[in-house]
Amino acid sequence: MYFAEISGNIEILGKGLMMGLGMIGPGIGIGLVGNAFINAVGRNPEAAKFLGQALVLIGIIELLALLVFASLFII
Amino acid sequence: MLELISHLAESSGPVIHIAPGEVLKSGNLVITNSMLYGWACAFVICVTLLVVRFMVRIKPRRGIIQFIEAGTEMIMGVINNALGSREKAVKYTPYFVTIFFFVLLNNWFGLLPGVGGAVTRGETPLFRPFTADLNGTLAMAVVTMVLVQTFAIKESGILKHIRHYFNGSLKNPTTYLFGGLEVFTEFTRVISLALRLFLNVVIGEVIISVFGFLGKAAAPVTALPFVMLEMFVGLLQAYIFVMLSVTYLAVAIHHDDEHDAETEAPETVPEAPKRKRVLKQKVGTA
Repeated sequence: MYFAEISGNIEILGKGLMMGLGMIGPGIGIGLVGNAFINAVGRNPEAAKFLGQALVLIGIIELLALLVFASLFII
Repeated sequence: MLELISHLAESSGPVIHIAPGEVLKSGNLVITNSMLYGWACAFVICVTLLVVRFMVRIKPRRGIIQFIEAGTEMIMGVINNALGSREKAVKYTPYFVTIFFFVLLNNWFGLLPGVGGAVTRGETPLFRPFTADLNGTLAMAVVTMVLVQTFAIKESGILKHIRHYFNGSLKNPTTYLFGGLEVFTEFTRVISLALRLFLNVVIGEVIISVFGFLGKAAAPVTALPFVMLEMFVGLLQAYIFVMLSVTYLAVAIHHDDEHDAETEAPETVPEAPKRKRVLKQKVGTA
């Protein structure tokens, strides 16, 4: 006797779980970068010129999120 | 419920192509739609930049030249900040500005109407953005990293460049371990540069096509915000591509020995007037 039974296409459930769980980490990472940048600018407005570096760091983290997205089409 | 969702997802979903399609094929030679559109874009970019090259005047002009000049100034500023001197920035600007405009305009031309599913030859679309093909971005990344290595070897000599990776005592086995790791890092940089650009563009395409599909009749309204987002992402990715490769170049040509040379250099400059004074005194005593 099963407590619950899932019928239908499990693949879509797996893809949804992968997207949802996989995006948590990069989301937190990009949030931390943005938080640090805004804090730095708030304390020292001269730091606003480091926006380019912040964007590059976001780009590095974004790659991980994009890899999760791309895995949708591979599995 | 799940059956309904899976049924909806499988029935005539949005048209999504991750890999480029073959347009022409003769024997082993395959011409994909990305290559076709890449050649067309490269031709347009070459003609535009050559025309702009003859429009350059000291007095600023209106039109596309302002856009090109602003981009060139921005990239030159990035290189100047990373390498620390304007001479080096002028030396390395041509390649990085070229790759910046190539990536940027390829990203933006990929968003034009008619690229993608609108114009098809048989089943495959005739045009596809050049940067939405992993082969294209991998070629750009390989060329960039090979040039970075070449610049670094020209800057500091081949032996010093190798010692840059294997720094430390040569009798110490960890030198070889970490040196091998550093060399391996260079190869991962090629992959990460290529994957970042490719995935950003191709996933933008996927998102635009998904939202165009969800909107049905109102597709232009629902897809428009994502097209605008993709325009921003295209600019950002071109900037990040150049910024990262400039950073790799700055790391590769920076040696610890240079600190001594840099601190010595300003000291020699003030000494010059002293010699003149000595000469004058000699003249005066004579």
